[in-house]
Amino acid sequence: MILEEILQVLILIGLIISGYLAIKFRDLLACAIALGIFSFLLSLEFYILQAPDVAIAEAGIGAGLTTAIFILAIRGTSRWEVEE
Amino acid sequence: MRNALLCVALLVVLGCLLYVSVNPGDFGVSRGEHLAFGEPKYTDMDDYFIHNGQNQTGANNIVTSIVFDYRGYDTIGEASVLFTAVLGVGVALRELRKRRDKNDE
Amino acid sequence: MMSKIVRTQASFLYTFILIFGFYIVAHGHLTPGGGFQGGAVIATGIALIAVAFNFSNVKRWIKKTHLTAAEGIGLLTFLITALIGIGTSFFYNWLANSGLIFGQRVSYGVNPGYLNTAGTLPVMNLAVGIEVFGGLGVIILYMLNYVKEVRNDAS
Repeated sequence: MILEEILQVLILIGLIISGYLAIKFRDLLACAIALGIFSFLLSLEFYILQAPDVAIAEAGIGAGLTTAIFILAIRGTSRWEVEE
Repeated sequence: MRNALLCVALLVVLGCLLYVSVNPGDFGVSRGEHLAFGEPKYTDMDDYFIHNGQNQTGANNIVTSIVFDYRGYDTIGEASVLFTAVLGVGVALRELRKRRDKNDE
Repeated sequence: MMSKIVRTQASFLYTFILIFGFYIVAHGHLTPGGGFQGGAVIATGIALIAVAFNFSNVKRWIKKTHLTAAEGIGLLTFLITALIGIGTSFFYNWLANSGLIFGQRVSYGVNPGYLNTAGTLPVMNLAVGIEVFGGLGVIILYMLNYVKEVRNDAS
């Protein structure tokens, strides 16, 4: 039980860190990967909270499909974020 | 200034998540009753689904039997939302492509 | 087009992603998952192919009209399956506990999980899976229209 809580706290800290990195990076490809890690950690959290259906949906759409669509959009535009 | 606001907002979110995960006992308190985290107060509907779902629909996965059988109208709404979203994406992107072709000529 | 390592891995993993998606769809009434999740996993396979390979090849392999047809057929099958039970009510599970296909009776409690159960739920799972796969695949293929072809790759 205490191990599960420690794991949960670690996952929540990882969520905050990856969400902060996603807006901090200048390389947009790294941002997309950070968002993918965010979705993966969120699906892990859903699984720990005993919602495996939501976890599969989050892992499939958030970590797989959205990252791929972001990568396609980055390849269609430019990779580096520019200052206005 | 903007970065400081951002850090404060992120810290507030982190604090709320950590509070709920570390100290779950206060989350379900109502009128002096202490419930554990994830244990709802009113469970009549849950008990009905859990005890009758397998008999009535035959599915082991209660979530699927709720989504597709007991609450099928929600699934119709979700499928229509996806259909409409794809329709919107198709309309928007197709129009742009024609305009670019016209400029190339 | 990405490097040779990415292409080899994508063509290797594509099969397993598809099999996993079909497994989630087909076992939607027994294990966690269902039509929406399985369709999303299958669409992830299409996205992997679209990211890894040459875009003109991808447009030649995966036709947009097929995916649009899959989306329409899935939604139509879902609605028709729900409409057949309208004698009792909309979304009435007219196949469950009937002894026909998908009609095996299951009592309350732990069981090893039989595929031949749950009435119209597997049909609806399959329909929604086809619909979600078609819809998300069409979105990815529309995104491909605006990607410039990068030709500085050595391989």
